[in-house]
Amino acid sequence: MAKAKGYSDPKLEAKLQDRYYYREYSHPDFTKKVHDLARTVNHMCYQCGTCTGSCVSAPRSSYRIRLFMRRQVLGLEDEALTDPDLWLCTTCYSCTDRCPRDIAPTDVIMAMRNFAYQRGIVPVNFLKTVQLIYQSGHGVPNNDVNRAVRTKIGLPKDPPTTHAYPEFLPGIRQILDHWKVKEQADKIVAEAEKHG
Amino acid sequence: MAEAKGHDYALFLGCIAPNRYPGCEASAIKCSRKLGINLHDMKGASCCPAPGAFGSIDLNVWYAMAARNVVIAEKMGMDIALECNGCYKSIYEVNEKLKHHDELRDMVNEVLKTVPDPTDPTKKGTMEFKGTIDVFHLVELYADPKICGPDKIRENVVRPLTGTRIGVHYGCHLIKPKKERHLGDTENPMWIEELVAALGAEPVQYRKKMQCCGAGGGVRGYDLVHALDITNEKLINLHEAKVDAVTESCPFCQLQFDRGQIEIKEKFGKMWGLPVLHFNELLGLAFGMSPAELALDMHAIPVDPFLKKIL
Repeated sequence: MAKAKGYSDPKLEAKLQDRYYYREYSHPDFTKKVHDLARTVNHMCYQCGTCTGSCVSAPRSSYRIRLFMRRQVLGLEDEALTDPDLWLCTTCYSCTDRCPRDIAPTDVIMAMRNFAYQRGIVPVNFLKTVQLIYQSGHGVPNNDVNRAVRTKIGLPKDPPTTHAYPEFLPGIRQILDHWKVKEQADKIVAEAEKHG
Repeated sequence: MAEAKGHDYALFLGCIAPNRYPGCEASAIKCSRKLGINLHDMKGASCCPAPGAFGSIDLNVWYAMAARNVVIAEKMGMDIALECNGCYKSIYEVNEKLKHHDELRDMVNEVLKTVPDPTDPTKKGTMEFKGTIDVFHLVELYADPKICGPDKIRENVVRPLTGTRIGVHYGCHLIKPKKERHLGDTENPMWIEELVAALGAEPVQYRKKMQCCGAGGGVRGYDLVHALDITNEKLINLHEAKVDAVTESCPFCQLQFDRGQIEIKEKFGKMWGLPVLHFNELLGLAFGMSPAELALDMHAIPVDPFLKKIL
């Protein structure tokens, strides 16, 4: 993204790289889009940093929730959605409980993840859960070891969910197909596996 | 709605309790009955769905799938009780959001119209979110003196957990974000400690009690060592407080603490060996259920050191 300075030594060009943001990088509608999906007053952030101070992921990574909050206020959509740190939020909601402006930064992160997914940017583990639910109705399905244990302790071998009543699976698949998430998941997982 | 028929609830099982720690399910049904809470099967329920995975990729799918589960209970005419914080986030939060936002409810109902009816899968067009029920976590019902309360638990204990020190991990989605819940303080809550004390054990305070287990938001799947490092910090703090076990109200936190300790050994070379027990498993033990009835051998970390103190 950085603007070239035109220095003759490419090493110096890289070291002294322009780190400013310019107006043309900004998509002002991004703040509004985040607002509509996250249903929080995301534009109100005054960058106090209480969120990052409360964050369990911050002390062990470069993930900074405050930075993501700033990016969405400034409309820096590309910077926000392409940063892999976006996926390090454990959604513990500590920042949300402590935000002095009553914003829900966690929900802002969730909304931004939705927008990243729409661009095909999403870690495959999220999509594998989708595929499992499509197959069985469960993100963590039953297995034979567990079936044996269930029977031993007096429970039916399969719980009375879509496991025991697979006739409800078509309904669940209809919901997933309505938003084409299975299709998208299969596509991205296949691509990821192709590239090893 | 529940008061009309006594304490009857639709039991929403989720995934990890029935499919990985079935003792949680067995104990929930058996112990709740002793406490006057009757739990009924939700035929054809699915994954809640996982709030981290589904919320992160498409919130609309998350709303619609959770709403389908809520509608199953609406049709049973019962409030929902469940035993997982992740399920609580999906089912409780979607239920509240759809009750208060017409446009979300309409969007969801448009899709639910095409989904088979839970009482008769050949019938369609009968699924509609109406907003007629409420959603509760079982520990919340156990703590509520109008439904149960610590005193009633104490009266039913046949095998007090005397002499054990237990750290409580509340988990995140049961009580946070506090303005969307109704369960009080989220900086240092003590109401699950009161339940633990009612079982005869000594609840122990420890550093950063309210810290996340590390698994949520898809982080366990995305960056395992990042998630484990968070869990390891909790284990350090629990160890310092000399606890005999950690208890929680969330099978996903349980999975992270329990199997996570095996992974922490593999990745970081540290072995904590701290028994991890869902509150329902503790309750089962205190109410006289045997370790076999609770399928405690399904735990990756043996709970024997804890059992030795109470059996």
